[in-house]
Amino acid sequence: MNITTRIEHGVTVVGIAGNLDSNTSPQAQQALDGMLASGGRKMVVDFTALDYISSAGLRVLLGTAKRLNGAGGALRLFGLNQTVQEVFDISGFSTILAVFATEADALKGF
Amino acid sequence: MRPSLRMTIGADPGEVARVKTALAEFADAHAVPAGIRRSMSVVLDELLNNTISYGFAGREGGEMTIAVELRTDRLSVTLTDDGAPFNPLDVAAPDTALSVEERQVGGLGIHLARRLMDEVSYQRRAGRNVVVLAKLLAGGRTAADAEDGP
Repeated sequence: MNITTRIEHGVTVVGIAGNLDSNTSPQAQQALDGMLASGGRKMVVDFTALDYISSAGLRVLLGTAKRLNGAGGALRLFGLNQTVQEVFDISGFSTILAVFATEADALKGF
Repeated sequence: MRPSLRMTIGADPGEVARVKTALAEFADAHAVPAGIRRSMSVVLDELLNNTISYGFAGREGGEMTIAVELRTDRLSVTLTDDGAPFNPLDVAAPDTALSVEERQVGGLGIHLARRLMDEVSYQRRAGRNVVVLAKLLAGGRTAADAEDGP
């Protein structure tokens, strides 16, 4: 897994490439915690290069979304491949998290 | 001869990563569609870690065997472990309709495993759990999936 970060119009865009599973989730958790600690409140997660996600990865996203919501911020996502979308649909995450098709859609009005 | 892959691993989460890497190499070598390989990777992550966390709890060690087989119509994986009896088909589905604040992720892994696969079977055989997972190739769908809708 590889994580990249950039700021677009005050929004932190986090790209997660590779797999977000039980082996890589601790590293992702640490990276997202770091962004929260540095004051980021609006976060867009770019899944364009994400291969697959398991429940360990969903746990990281849910925890981050809860903390951002609690701090008056929000989490948005885009670029889910078919398998990631299926995992989101089965788990109900496509209705509890804000999922967009493209980065432009995710940044719009954020 | 059918392409196959067999691995035996211990109760170590690091070894689960090794299994997923081996599956990815197997899928590449035999042109298994990416979607099928991804679904199987998710399910292996869920079930192998579940066995390590719960099946082998309260004991030293533990051993799991992963046997992958590619047939003309399906990718199948047989997981065998000598841990506590555990039938993934007996686990109740979690409530997936709660809000962000209310949601917990517990129990989701097994639910994902059942729904991402086209077929899951379980047997307790000679003191071992034997789970057979299958993903059908060429967009094949099971009757049960058709009833559930897309």
